[in-house]
Amino acid sequence: MRPILMKGHERPLTFLKYNRDGDLLFSCAKDHNPTVWFADNGERLGTYRGHNGAVWCCDVSRDSGRLITGSADQTAKLWNVQTGQQLFTFNFDSPARSVDFAVGDKLAVITTDPFMELPSAIHVKRIANDPAEQTGESVLLIKGPQGRINRAIWGPLNRTIISAGEDAVIRIWDSETGKLLKESDKESGHKKTVTSLAKSADGSHFLTGSLDKSARLWDTRTLTLIKTYVTERPVNAVAMSPLLDHVVLGGGQDASAVTTTDHRAGKFEAKFYDKILQEEIGGVKGHFGPINALAFNPDGKSFSSGGEDGYVRLHHFDPDYFNIKI
Amino acid sequence: MAGLAPEGTQFDGRQYDAKMSELLSTDGQEFFTSYDEVYDSFDAMGLQENLLRGIYAYGFERPSAIQQRGIVPFCKGLDVIQQAQSGTGKTATFCSGILQQLDYGLVQCQALVLAPTRELAQQIEKVMRALGDYLGVKVHACVGGTSVREDQRILQAGVHTVVGTPGRVFDMLRRQSLRPDCIKMFVLDEADEMLSRGFKDQIYDIFQLLPSKIQVGVFSATMPPEALEITRKFMNKPVRILVKRDELTLEGIKQFYVNVDKEEWKLETLCDLYETLAITQSVIFVNTRRKVDWLTDKMRSNDHTVSATHGDMDQNTRDIIMREFRSGSSRVLITTDLLARGIDVQQVSLVINYDLPTQPENYLHRIGRSGRFGRKGVSINFVTTDDARMLSDIQKFYNVTVEELPSNVADLL
Repeated sequence: MRPILMKGHERPLTFLKYNRDGDLLFSCAKDHNPTVWFADNGERLGTYRGHNGAVWCCDVSRDSGRLITGSADQTAKLWNVQTGQQLFTFNFDSPARSVDFAVGDKLAVITTDPFMELPSAIHVKRIANDPAEQTGESVLLIKGPQGRINRAIWGPLNRTIISAGEDAVIRIWDSETGKLLKESDKESGHKKTVTSLAKSADGSHFLTGSLDKSARLWDTRTLTLIKTYVTERPVNAVAMSPLLDHVVLGGGQDASAVTTTDHRAGKFEAKFYDKILQEEIGGVKGHFGPINALAFNPDGKSFSSGGEDGYVRLHHFDPDYFNIKI
Repeated sequence: MAGLAPEGTQFDGRQYDAKMSELLSTDGQEFFTSYDEVYDSFDAMGLQENLLRGIYAYGFERPSAIQQRGIVPFCKGLDVIQQAQSGTGKTATFCSGILQQLDYGLVQCQALVLAPTRELAQQIEKVMRALGDYLGVKVHACVGGTSVREDQRILQAGVHTVVGTPGRVFDMLRRQSLRPDCIKMFVLDEADEMLSRGFKDQIYDIFQLLPSKIQVGVFSATMPPEALEITRKFMNKPVRILVKRDELTLEGIKQFYVNVDKEEWKLETLCDLYETLAITQSVIFVNTRRKVDWLTDKMRSNDHTVSATHGDMDQNTRDIIMREFRSGSSRVLITTDLLARGIDVQQVSLVINYDLPTQPENYLHRIGRSGRFGRKGVSINFVTTDDARMLSDIQKFYNVTVEELPSNVADLL
């Protein structure tokens, strides 16, 4: 694999997202400008300017027409993907963290961080077809898990919302009533902050990454732990191949500690595991800081990683990758 | 360096420890203030709301170790000496401390930050501006190489904070474009670098012009005894946050590059440096085992004594070579990254990257072979035209400065 190195962000990457067709890759970073790239050759297509803080997360609508971004400037914004025009700004009283469009793109879930006396919250917003009719009203507001909610996504048929964050607990909420339906089991679940979450292509299961140096695979409906992938580094990002039974984990030594060690490696490679056997297949080196974001192209033939170093690396798999035997 | 070992003897860790403990213990009751509180979240520090918004908007989520201990004492108006390795959050620590204490209704310079290079000053200005965005802070970088007239215009229009390099700042003070009357906070960033680069007199001159009642913050990645002694002149019972000797790493190493232009010219450059190399223990890193053998042959055929080791050699041979090198009977070792983590020879003070590492994270381990025990080591990077990008990336990520090699490199060892 010869990676394509994409340099457009001045500060650490936070999130990567492909559109459904897999021809566009969206990146978010602690600079204020989400960026969109051609997913085949890594050329930069454009940036989305308007946020005044780190951008933590983004999602793109099924038809690739709308982009939603969540930012530490206490707003989430809707954008026209093609023109880069800001369509709407959702204002909050604390940093916005995670964003996710529902199936059908009529709703979006947005999480906000705790701030001073305010608890963290999960907001559900209606997304209007016509930007002129867009309002900031919440359809639903769920308050109070302890600490930041690093990720929240829609469950099957938009009936549930799955959240995970600093308290290490994964929760399933009813998306109409806001009632808590399930919580991950303390014994089998993560022990530290959940940093990242990735859904399988069919939505039947999802993968979570944690600072406890593991990633875990869960059944979306029952929240049963299916598999655990153990590494020797904190996991900041996870992704699942849509084609093969492979998962990939990225992370590494905490960025603030990188320059304070002299004997330990940073462990900045993306690590591939067999989803079923839970065994490590191999790794992809290259970043010289922790990996903060990972995403697979929906066609399964390439993946991207984003690091603390500000680079996005785009990797097209060699033919050999598709014939790996364990 | 010269102060530490006037006879040119090799560095003595025990001497360093003895001198440091003498400074810290005999004057402990008089010179330092004890401050032990640790805050594990920004919210708990009592910062004003708009500063907190700025901190989170910048992308910080939780405080690093230095921030947990360092922000609050600075916010309380205490003098502070804070040491932490590069890249661990010192800049945000003093920026937050300054921003918390500014009077935003008074558009006069209330805080002065000095940094050794214009690039660093501009970087600090950028962070200060970002963290202070919701507070409406006016901050200006006052550095050499920019328009004096423009600096004068901006300063006379009024700013809350100035970040600068000593020469330009002194010039602005002397011309009275920068008025010190309202300055109540003075920060020295990379203090050890400042004091070792010959800025000492300029800093002292600046300090003389500042009001007598002023809060002083000294921040640095390394804090050798000499720098600590000098801070007595400026400070009143400072709170100190120091790193234990054995935790010091990358920032104790001065880093240089030589633009060799072409691969073929590296060997000639290395031969030119050989006399310097042999003064102390040196390690030369190349990227392949074959190249270790090739370079070893070339150096020896030029009548230079070198040792070499790499992964293809059996362990017994490697042990013998390392023993020779460790004991000092051979002083130049050529090797690959494979062994970078295993070379722990305390006397190594010069590392040469004949080739830049193919894996950037190995840079940390190669360089970490030099400059341990809180003293300056030196690394020299041979850079071809193709390497310039990689070197720039390494500087950016590890927040280090790699300067062009001066002619007097021997004086640095």
